[in-house]
Amino acid sequence: MKLRCSQNRGETPRLAEGNKMATKEEIVEKLALAVENYKLKDAVAAANEAVEAGVDPVYAINEGLVKGMNIVGEKFAEHKVFLPHVLTASKALYGGLDILLPLIPKAAEGDVKTAVAAVVQGDVHDIGKNILKTLLTAGGYLVTDLGKDVPPETIVEAVKTGNTQVLCMSTLMTPTMEEMANTIGLLKDSGCRGNCTVTIGGPPTSPSFAESIGADHRDKNAQDAVAWIKANA
Amino acid sequence: MVTEMNSLERVEASLADEKVDRLSTFPLACGVCRRLLGDGTTLYRDWATDPHVFSSSFIESRKRYGADFVGGMMDLSVIASDLGADVRMNDQNTPFVDGHNIRTLEDYERLEIPEIGSGRAGVLIEGTRQYAEALGREAFCSTFIEGPLLALSQTAGAEQLFMDMFTDPRPIHKALRLITEYESGIVEEFSRIDGLSAIFWNYLWGNYSCLSDSEYAEFEADVYAKELNDLTRRNGLAVAVHNCADLPHLDTQIRGFKASVYSHAYYPQVHRSLTASEMIDKGYCDDCLVAGQIDPQIFMRGTVEETLGTVRDLCQNVKTSLCKRGLNSRYTISTGCEIPPGLGCRMDNIQAMVDAVRLYGNMYRWTYRSPIE
Repeated sequence: MKLRCSQNRGETPRLAEGNKMATKEEIVEKLALAVENYKLKDAVAAANEAVEAGVDPVYAINEGLVKGMNIVGEKFAEHKVFLPHVLTASKALYGGLDILLPLIPKAAEGDVKTAVAAVVQGDVHDIGKNILKTLLTAGGYLVTDLGKDVPPETIVEAVKTGNTQVLCMSTLMTPTMEEMANTIGLLKDSGCRGNCTVTIGGPPTSPSFAESIGADHRDKNAQDAVAWIKANA
Repeated sequence: MVTEMNSLERVEASLADEKVDRLSTFPLACGVCRRLLGDGTTLYRDWATDPHVFSSSFIESRKRYGADFVGGMMDLSVIASDLGADVRMNDQNTPFVDGHNIRTLEDYERLEIPEIGSGRAGVLIEGTRQYAEALGREAFCSTFIEGPLLALSQTAGAEQLFMDMFTDPRPIHKALRLITEYESGIVEEFSRIDGLSAIFWNYLWGNYSCLSDSEYAEFEADVYAKELNDLTRRNGLAVAVHNCADLPHLDTQIRGFKASVYSHAYYPQVHRSLTASEMIDKGYCDDCLVAGQIDPQIFMRGTVEETLGTVRDLCQNVKTSLCKRGLNSRYTISTGCEIPPGLGCRMDNIQAMVDAVRLYGNMYRWTYRSPIE
C-alpha cells in the first residue's frame, strides 16, 4: 500500500549487530517471497518478525507483501499461473496484512484512496471481485469489501459513509447485470454519484453496457481494472 | 436441392455435416420459458421444483418459437443441492447456492449422495422425461447437468475449492469420485428416456481464466469427465459440452472429449476469444457441431430489429466460413449462455432470433425477403 512511511526508506539500517538477526531488507524479502510462493505461514512468520524487529509496517507492506503480490498478479495476467495460485497468494498477503495493518498510524492513512467492492444482488460469484480487491489493496487502496449478493441500498450506504472514491461492482451472470444499473440509479438519486468513480466488471459486461448505465469504466480483468483505476480515479 | 427438413432432421444432418435446408438454431431459453405458461406468472421456484411445470415450459417454447434444439437446463445448483448445499429459491431469479457445506478438508470426505431420483436431480430427470417424450420425434432434445468439478465448486465454494486443490488434492479427488458415481447413475436414468438425444455436460471450469491445462486435466478432464463422457456414449446418447466461461479449453473440450456438440459463449472484450468464423477457420467445427454465439444481453436491451440484424450478420459469417472450410452445416446459431430468465427479458427477441435464422440461415433456397434490408 502506498502509505506514507515513517522511516527513511533510503537507508539500509541493520536491526542488530552481527549476522544472527535479519536486516530490514531481508525481512521484507521474506514477506515478498512468502506471497510469491503462496506460503501463508511464512507470510505470518515474516510479518511477526518485522514487528519484533521494529520494521516500519508501511515499508514492510509496500516492499514486501505488495511486491510479492504484484509478481503473482503479473504472472496471472500472462497466464503463467492460474486462479488457485492467485487465491493462495492472496491468502498469504492478507495473513501478513492482518498483522501489519493495525500497526500503521492513523495519520499515515490520511492520503490513502478508498474503494468499495461488491458483487451485485442476485449473484454469488465473487472470485473476480476478490482478485480485484487483492490487487487494488496491493495498489495502495483501502478497500471495503461488501461481499456478494449485495443490494443496491447497501452499496450506496457504504459509498456515502465511507467517503468512497471508487466503486467496483461485478457480476458473472447476465440476469443480474441490471442490478448495476439499479445501483448507479440509486447513487444518483442519493446525490453521491459525482463523488466517486464507478467501474464494473464480469464477462457478460461490456464498455457499451457500462456507458449505457452511466458507469465510468468497464474492464476485462482485475489487473487491467486496477491499472485503469490507478491512472484515472 | 435440399428439401425442407424438420428440426430433428436438420440437427441430425448438421451433426453429420450433411447438407441442410438452413442452419439449425438453439436459443438457450430455459427459465425464461416459465413466462409462457398460463397467465405468465409462474414462479421460478415452481419451475425449478415441479417436473410438470419444468417440462411444460419447454413444450410451450417449442410450440411458440419452433427452435431446433430443446435443452432443459435448470440451473447450476442441482447437484450441489443433492450434496447438501443450501440453495435459495426465488420468485423471479435463478436458484443459487447460498450456503456451502464444505468448510474443511475433512468435509470433502464426509459428502454423501442421495438415492438417484430422490433429490433435485430427480426433478430434472422426470422433467426431462416429460418434454423428451413429447418432443423427441420432432426436435433434438437434450438435457444439462453440471460436471463433477462444477458441482463440487458449487458445494464448497469455488474460492475454497481452488485453494484446497492447491493445498491438498487428495480429499478433493475423493469427493469428485463420489460425484462421478452419482452422476453415472443419473446418466443411466437419462439413457432410459425415450426421445432424449444428448446430455450437455457443463464443464465450466475448463477455462484459461481459472485453470491451466494440467490442473484441469487432473481435476476433471482426464479422469472424471472422461468416464462420464464414455458412459454417456455407451448409453446411446451424444456427448454435448456446454461452457459459458471465457477462454475455454477448446482443444480439450472439443477435440479431447470428442464432443458431438459444443455450446459456448463469446466475450468479445476478452483477448483471445474466438469469433464464430475463427472457431470454424481453426477447425473446431470439423468434427463437432459448435453452437454460438449471440450475446444474451441483446434479449434484455436490444430491439427486435437489432436482434434480427445481429443474427443476420452471424448467419452470414458462419455460412461464409463453413463454405471456405469445406463444411456444410456444422454450426448452430445459439446464445452460448442462457437467455436472461428475469422479467426484463424481451420475449419478442427470442422469436426474432429463431425467425432470423429461418430468414438468413438458409443454405440452399431463398424463399424469404429480408424485412430489414
